[in-house]
Amino acid sequence: MVTRRVLEVPGVLAVSSVLVFLLPQLTGTDTARAALRARSAESTPDAATVARVTHEFGLDRSLPEQYLSWLGHALTGDFGLSFTTRTAVGPQVLRATSVSLTLVVLALVLAAGISVPAGVYAAAHRGRLFDKLVSAASVLGVAVPEFILGPGLVLVFSVTLGLLPTTGWRTPSDAVLPTLSLTAFPAALVAQLTRAEMLDALGRPYIVVARAKGLGEQHILWRHAARTALTSVLALSSVFFAGLLGVAVIAEVIFAIPGLGRLLYDAVLAQDLPMTQAGLLAVITLALLARVTADLLQLVLNPQAREAQR
Amino acid sequence: MTAGRRPLLHKAPLVTAAVVALLVALAVLVPVDPTTPDLLHRFAPPSWVHPLGTDQLGRDLAARILAGARLSVGFTLLALVLCAVLGTTAGLTAGYVGGVPAKALQSVVDVLVSIPTIVFGLILAAAWQPGLPALLGAVLIVGWTPFSRLAYQLAIKQAGAGYVDGALTMGAGTWWILSRHILRNAARPLLAHTCLRFANTMLTLAGLSFLGLGAQPPTPEWGAMLAEGRNYLYLAPRLVLAPMTAIATITVAVTVLGRTLNGAGPPKPSLNDVLAARPTHMPGQRRA
Repeated sequence: MVTRRVLEVPGVLAVSSVLVFLLPQLTGTDTARAALRARSAESTPDAATVARVTHEFGLDRSLPEQYLSWLGHALTGDFGLSFTTRTAVGPQVLRATSVSLTLVVLALVLAAGISVPAGVYAAAHRGRLFDKLVSAASVLGVAVPEFILGPGLVLVFSVTLGLLPTTGWRTPSDAVLPTLSLTAFPAALVAQLTRAEMLDALGRPYIVVARAKGLGEQHILWRHAARTALTSVLALSSVFFAGLLGVAVIAEVIFAIPGLGRLLYDAVLAQDLPMTQAGLLAVITLALLARVTADLLQLVLNPQAREAQR
Repeated sequence: MTAGRRPLLHKAPLVTAAVVALLVALAVLVPVDPTTPDLLHRFAPPSWVHPLGTDQLGRDLAARILAGARLSVGFTLLALVLCAVLGTTAGLTAGYVGGVPAKALQSVVDVLVSIPTIVFGLILAAAWQPGLPALLGAVLIVGWTPFSRLAYQLAIKQAGAGYVDGALTMGAGTWWILSRHILRNAARPLLAHTCLRFANTMLTLAGLSFLGLGAQPPTPEWGAMLAEGRNYLYLAPRLVLAPMTAIATITVAVTVLGRTLNGAGPPKPSLNDVLAARPTHMPGQRRA
């Protein structure tokens, strides 16, 4: 199962690259006209100019020919020049990707750091006040989206208290609010999962055996039960990664962060084709990598999955 | 647990059902005018005439919130039903027929879930006009996949049941078995799943509108209102707070309600419920 998924990746990437390449055809945009519109704003170009640009871009060649030459360049990181800024797209996408990665990884680490201990503790004290608080908070975290949480945090911490900057991505303090607004959702899910898995683990016979051996309650909780519970939780948290990339678009727009989502958002709205294509490929590649990581993590952590491999 | 002291979480579904019912009733019954500007009364504070005050164009905020409830809930239901029908049809058929169609469906779903819904929203908004049709399209492209996954699993389970063999011996055709037998047996879990997807769908729609890819001004859509209100964060925070509260109330209420209907109350959600609650762009729902 896992091997099949890993082997699928090149195939999925190839299909995605064709789809991304065919973006203008699929969406019915004329590449030459889009490029001209970006250069000369509102004025409608005459037929001769359109024909010249069409030839310049090689758009008069057959589609397979165009695809192969585009792919050849893309594989070396050359996605052409942006229609709007007239600068190379590749390095910009790379820079934006690193910003988004930082943001998403920060959010995930923070989410795991908060929710795993909370989930374990809640399961160990089932039905107590803390357990109820965790359950209520996680329902809120799942139901309240980042585009509400983001402005809400800005309202409290920037507008009312004046503690943190509203937008930007220069100093570490700029990262606080976007990270927090991205953290809530994965934290809520991971807390619920950890709790459910812990309750499951705590009911198993080996816990009774551990108690019968006279091991301390804390030892049983963290070394025995949590270890089992965390295998599935950890593998799943890496799956959140791909989802967070999508959600990061909203956070990046709210907080004006120069990440991949923001880049894609601006590029699509400006009909900046090379930028859009490179950005899309970056998102798809990252999502696929996250999926493979999740699968491999599961293989490492879960003996049952390893067993199924044989 | 004693009968006298029921924990708050058990009463929550009742309370939330009441909240949703009240909001929907208000939205349907109260006649409001959410779009006519009144430039002499911009940013008016809350009063008897305008319970929540007015916005940057002097429009009544309460009226816009109520009109937004109608739009958001209605549009979400429309998108959800379409997703459910599409996904169920594809999943049930593939699961029952098996073979190449099943493999093809699985690959398509695998590719689709690795791309965030927002990306489709962006592309469709660029290709067509940003607006409700593009919004619906973007949600549909990814939104049918969870239903298809579930229906697929259900169909595989049902296809091995004795009554299917029985129907086959009686000469029933594929379509008959699918619609009369398998769909009926799969209906309950599918309905419960639809409830769980409600909040997710609504948030996706509002999120895309928030980015300016969905409902366009002056349409009173909560996500779009939130985005507009952000420009007046210092001047009139209630322009943000009102749609914020509205969205949060509905989604929390529906999430709690959906879990209860699904038979998994708040105390112990199963892995699948948790994953089904949100979001479409998450390639989750698998474990082994």
